[in-house]
Amino acid sequence: MTKSDRRTALLFFSPAAVFMLLFFVYPMFLLIRDSLFDSKSGMQFVGAENYSRALTSDRFYQSLYNTVVFVLGAVTLELVIGLILALLLSTGFKGNHFVRTLFLSPLMIAPLVCGLIWKFMLNDQFGILNSLLYRAGLIDSPQSILWLSDSKYALLSCMLADVWLTTPFMMLILLAGIQGISGSLYEAAHIDGAGRSQRFWHITLPSLRPVIVVAVLIRMIDAARSFDIIWVLTQGGPGFSSSVLSTMIYNTMARYNQTGYSSALAVLFMIALLSVCGFFMMRLWNPNKKAA
Amino acid sequence: MSAFAGRKLTLGSALILVLTGLFVIAFLFPYVYLVMTSLKPPSEVISSSPTLFPSVFTFDNFRKMFEVLPIGKYFGNSFFTAIFSTIISVFLGSLAAYGLSRFSSRLGNLFLLLTLAVRMVPLISVAIPMYRIINQLGIYDTKLALILVYTSINIPFVIWMMIGFFDGLPKELDESARVDGCSRFGAFMRIILPISLPGLATTSIFSYMLSWNDFLMALMMTSTSAKTLPVGLSEFLTAYNLDLGPMTAAAVTFSFPVMVFSFLIQRYIVSGMTMGAVKE
Repeated sequence: MTKSDRRTALLFFSPAAVFMLLFFVYPMFLLIRDSLFDSKSGMQFVGAENYSRALTSDRFYQSLYNTVVFVLGAVTLELVIGLILALLLSTGFKGNHFVRTLFLSPLMIAPLVCGLIWKFMLNDQFGILNSLLYRAGLIDSPQSILWLSDSKYALLSCMLADVWLTTPFMMLILLAGIQGISGSLYEAAHIDGAGRSQRFWHITLPSLRPVIVVAVLIRMIDAARSFDIIWVLTQGGPGFSSSVLSTMIYNTMARYNQTGYSSALAVLFMIALLSVCGFFMMRLWNPNKKAA
Repeated sequence: MSAFAGRKLTLGSALILVLTGLFVIAFLFPYVYLVMTSLKPPSEVISSSPTLFPSVFTFDNFRKMFEVLPIGKYFGNSFFTAIFSTIISVFLGSLAAYGLSRFSSRLGNLFLLLTLAVRMVPLISVAIPMYRIINQLGIYDTKLALILVYTSINIPFVIWMMIGFFDGLPKELDESARVDGCSRFGAFMRIILPISLPGLATTSIFSYMLSWNDFLMALMMTSTSAKTLPVGLSEFLTAYNLDLGPMTAAAVTFSFPVMVFSFLIQRYIVSGMTMGAVKE
């Protein structure tokens, strides 16, 4: 590559780079700097105090635990339901394209609107979910499950809304993956006398592995970052029963105005997420290891 | 071709249809219920034994929604910020993606890694310092602030989408344009961009959705004059009067156009969603 080529390349990506530097790299720098100061006493340098406060706080561990539970619970459910849906649609019954289009619709709904819908459906006075359960004879009265105000169910309710919103994404990715599997593999297995479940375990699932890894990784990152749904449904409550890292950081910042402490929490959250992603990508996505 | 195709209507395939039907009902129900509720008379919305269909169809909730909320203004703010951030980020992002696709350099690779890392950073972490920067610039609660924020969030996404498209275009295209007297930039504008129109369309749709659906950034960067519809909607929850009827109407107003649009262009959405995640 000549020198002038290098200069042109620089010209092409510098406008975007300037944007990213100003609104991503610089903010990150600010975030780390802020985390070392106490915002209450007029920006006094406190070193790692905010971090030690976070790492000794029960609330932080509770939120971290809730985040992990939320991510694992929601993504597992999404993977299982998404896989079932993808398998159903891949049978290629009449009208499967139309059904696929129907399933796509939740994908375009804003997480906030999804939160509102579920807030309404799970309402303990006029929510339709309890009403349906009551009419089906599964619960004793229409008010017996306080989905959002009972600390036992709050986080589960948030997961439910997240599963509804994003399972179609999982289904779509998996369906595309299934359709990419060569039909000759199935024919060969069929000739060898493999049954339906054998074909699933020995062909579909292994061939889907890389697609599943990518889809799960994308969904895990997004579920860990999610804020809107949980904020709308419970604001992290009751108590701290559904507090995740996002809502905890937001509360610390917006309600208690503790810039320093919330920045430290945000840095810890970022480090946690990046290391989990890094681990996954090294272990599962590394093409060199695939042969092994 | 699919795995189990070519079978007659047996017990198995009947089971498949029934299962699929149940899932369809379960997944469509919440949104259908929202739309139906928005068409109920306001008193029926807060009934303790709710029904799916309204006893009479009425637009009362939609009428009331304008009294509770300056919905036209919020809708306008949402639209304006989403469209401008999309235009800027798609242009700058494609420019960068083209540069990165055609010339490989160490700096470029570093930049590419940065855009990937951005995808993994929790938005709330960026939101805190962004809020301070926006304040320092003196543009808090302006549409400009939201446009800048959305553009910077969308750029990495656009780069990743477009790089795949540009990599798929043969380099001879650029070269022949240059032989014909185009500059590098001219070749990009006149040859590459027009050919990439399908990719640009898909990317723009997603970029638009990212801004349109955002709640967190708008919540932090606006208070009154630049407030977007999601933030306005969220206030139905904190308000003392739980105005659920107008809330459902506003939620439908916000999401319905997008739903209809996404139905019309679902082919592009499928290709955009599966891009990157599924490779042969």
